[in-house]
Amino acid sequence: MLKPISGRHCQAKFFERLAYRSLQTSSVNNLSHQLRIMAEFASSKMASGEAATHSSAPAELTFSAGTLVLTGWTPVAIEKVFPSGVWAWDDRIRGWRTVAAEYSQVSALLKSKSVGTRDLAAHVQSVAWSKITLPELRSEQQAAVAAWHKTKQGLVVMPTGSGKTEVALQIMADQAVSTLIIAPIRDLMYQWHRRILRGLNYDAGILGDSTVNVKPITVTTYESACIHMPVIGNQFGLIVFDECHHLPTPIRSDAARMCIANQRLGLSATPERSDGGHLRLAELIGPEVYRLEIPEIRGKSLADYQVFRIPIYLNDREQHRYDELSAVVRTYFHQRRQDDPTFTWETACAESNTDPESRYAVQAFREKRSIEDRASEKLRVLEDLFRLHQGSPMLIFAGSNSMARAVSTRFLIPCLLNHCGKQERLEYLEGLRDGIFPAIVANQVLDEGVDIPAVKVAVVIGGLTSAKQAKQRLGRILRRTGSHRAVLYEVVCQDTGEVQRSRKRRDSDAFTGTKRKKL
Amino acid sequence: MPDRLTRRRHEHYVGLAEGMLAVYRGGMGQMRECLHREVRSVFASQEDCPGRRIDAFCKLLDESAEYEHVSSSRAAELRIRVFKAAALLHPLVNEADPWFEHEERSAKEKVAAQVQMTWLELESQLFADLMQYHRLQSFDTEVTATDMLARYNVAQVQACLFDAVKMSITARADFKQLLRYAKLAGLMHRIYRVDEGYEIELDGPVSVLQSTHRYGVAMAKFLPGLLACSDWKMKALLKVARWNRHAVLELNSNCGLSSTAAPAARFDSTVEEKFSEKWGTEAREGWTLERESEVLHQGQKVFVPDFTFVHTSGRRVSMEIVGFWTPEYLHDKLITLATFRDQQLILAVQEAHVEQFGEHARRMVTYKSVLKIDAVLSLLRQEVAA
Repeated sequence: MLKPISGRHCQAKFFERLAYRSLQTSSVNNLSHQLRIMAEFASSKMASGEAATHSSAPAELTFSAGTLVLTGWTPVAIEKVFPSGVWAWDDRIRGWRTVAAEYSQVSALLKSKSVGTRDLAAHVQSVAWSKITLPELRSEQQAAVAAWHKTKQGLVVMPTGSGKTEVALQIMADQAVSTLIIAPIRDLMYQWHRRILRGLNYDAGILGDSTVNVKPITVTTYESACIHMPVIGNQFGLIVFDECHHLPTPIRSDAARMCIANQRLGLSATPERSDGGHLRLAELIGPEVYRLEIPEIRGKSLADYQVFRIPIYLNDREQHRYDELSAVVRTYFHQRRQDDPTFTWETACAESNTDPESRYAVQAFREKRSIEDRASEKLRVLEDLFRLHQGSPMLIFAGSNSMARAVSTRFLIPCLLNHCGKQERLEYLEGLRDGIFPAIVANQVLDEGVDIPAVKVAVVIGGLTSAKQAKQRLGRILRRTGSHRAVLYEVVCQDTGEVQRSRKRRDSDAFTGTKRKKL
Repeated sequence: MPDRLTRRRHEHYVGLAEGMLAVYRGGMGQMRECLHREVRSVFASQEDCPGRRIDAFCKLLDESAEYEHVSSSRAAELRIRVFKAAALLHPLVNEADPWFEHEERSAKEKVAAQVQMTWLELESQLFADLMQYHRLQSFDTEVTATDMLARYNVAQVQACLFDAVKMSITARADFKQLLRYAKLAGLMHRIYRVDEGYEIELDGPVSVLQSTHRYGVAMAKFLPGLLACSDWKMKALLKVARWNRHAVLELNSNCGLSSTAAPAARFDSTVEEKFSEKWGTEAREGWTLERESEVLHQGQKVFVPDFTFVHTSGRRVSMEIVGFWTPEYLHDKLITLATFRDQQLILAVQEAHVEQFGEHARRMVTYKSVLKIDAVLSLLRQEVAA
């Protein structure tokens, strides 16, 4: 049986054969000549046998399925010109392969050593803007642009509402090269489309939401970028990762690796990820080149704001059920911990597959969460807040889709969930801005990015422990308009797990000085 | 490893599957959410029932079901109208007072009346386009409990393959079909001759650079095709992120999993079929006939000639029958032949197209409607002499 030959094996075999032809005597000037000889040597030496097609192939660099392919090069030549580990031998195509993101390095080396290899990989175009109508940048935005220009690869970290989009548009205007903008959700993709139309007078292509229209300037989502990058990854010189903390998942980061763009801009208010993924952003996009925190511009570029915490209680019926369920969970855990002091929630979840008793406990725990989330008192508090802020548009953040729909049905206000189509979402967002709708309730759709300029009042009635989510949600109301102060209410169920979750998520500078308010 | 329901250990699942099917068969007009809840209750007292298993069953059941289609744009339109009407009455309060006079219940009836409904009707319509509120319209009556369990087993293996970084298949037959399915799924291959036949290694472009499960979806897509073929062994290397380690999944053609992919047609044309019949299983002048047993490959190009003649001396000569005659087919065939020019290959060409294959004349036998055995044998003699 023939053993499969790995790239490394094959490479080693080549080295053995060609070792005596090493280039030790050659000077750098002579290099390209020598390499050509090497190529000829290889083709004559191996005209018959396995390597025939490899060495007779023309020396070319091409883009293939999100990778770069180099043909017509011998291992010695590769070793001489490129740092080790860049290329891997692919015996299926008898060529060398590397990730597309290596392009800037590879093309620079090919150019400087001028080895006569044709570079057919990139299809990057320059863009001629017909008219640029961008607003004057504020000083911190200018600083961000200048910082990015020093490296042309890097992260700009600025709070929501401080005008990250304008920074990116300015950079796009300066670079005037084909650009791909990747946004986390469809709404944001369309928002980028509108902003590019307004600021750069360019009708950008759209890739995503069942549309495939790729133009020199194109907007897309992380999902679509993953799918299409193997095909379009060689068409853009600049790539903008909006809310780039969404990038570092294994599959999504492929989108960054499969693209040849040597200019990269990452935008985020909260790049940190609890899984440590943000450390990979430096490798995928570039170093952090600029950072601005909320407190630095509070009341200046950002609206001044106040955070209130409104404690509520479960009603008798809810409390009764809650106590029952708590007892189930407590008893179960108590018993299990007596046998095994290290017993954890994860074990219980895993066991719930096979053990009816732990299944019962896990279900009880989930129902507890649902009771906290759906506490009827929250609806009453909302009513009071609606009365209090009659006339100013409001955003309600729910902890679950079903709670969002419950609020929507109770008050007959629009509810923005993932299932809403583009038209419906636009109708609601514009309706809120124009004062047609008094309020919108959402789950996660509005957590980040989507511009809602006029909203100064937000109510959080449920959500995760994540400080990131809390900061993003706060950011929704901080875009400065006039001298209005923004208000964020957090409705928290007392004597339940919600108290602790609330405390955890407010564990950030932005939330210092939170007041307690009774309604 | 994939969850597998077996006749031996999971006999009671036939009854459970019947229970689930009964939920759907008797659940016309019910909402998806309710059906799933009822399916869940079928398992309530079962000791061995991972939640994942129930979810998978619900998905399989939904695949055989048709739900009432609610136009999401119509539902969205209704919502927008209702919310706009209600905006004028905002906020809908529990108890009206001099400042806030729109009491919830009466205000809702008012809004509903504007769309010619009662509030009760409106409430049930408001989010009717959501998946979980769709109502069951019909259910495939053909599905049996055993079908469902079989489909479940295949689906589990497919789900496992999502984590696959590499797949290797050792096959003794159906190479052509295997490679066609692999190509359809968008996978790249390496082919090695091994004692039992061929070993085909499948992964994708990036796989040479890093171990990635990026192509796992393609491998899952390939599975039904594989299951439709015969006489193979498969090994898949899985990268399981949850465990942070690698695992190997092994399957073979006797694994008992069945597929709905179409089984390979025995012959491409009647010319082939008749020739094979006439030749029979006996050796003629020392040559025995094998069908599609040789895989000629160069890089990603693969060519499986229709027949291979194997001589007692061990010599192998392949034969391709040019049986179709669209211009595209002939063009493709010529390109393929140019790529594999150096191989031990003879051609059988229909008389009408002899001209196009002029350059292969030396190694060609022609036929009108039936390919004659004598003509082929004399060409084989020639080949041996050369």
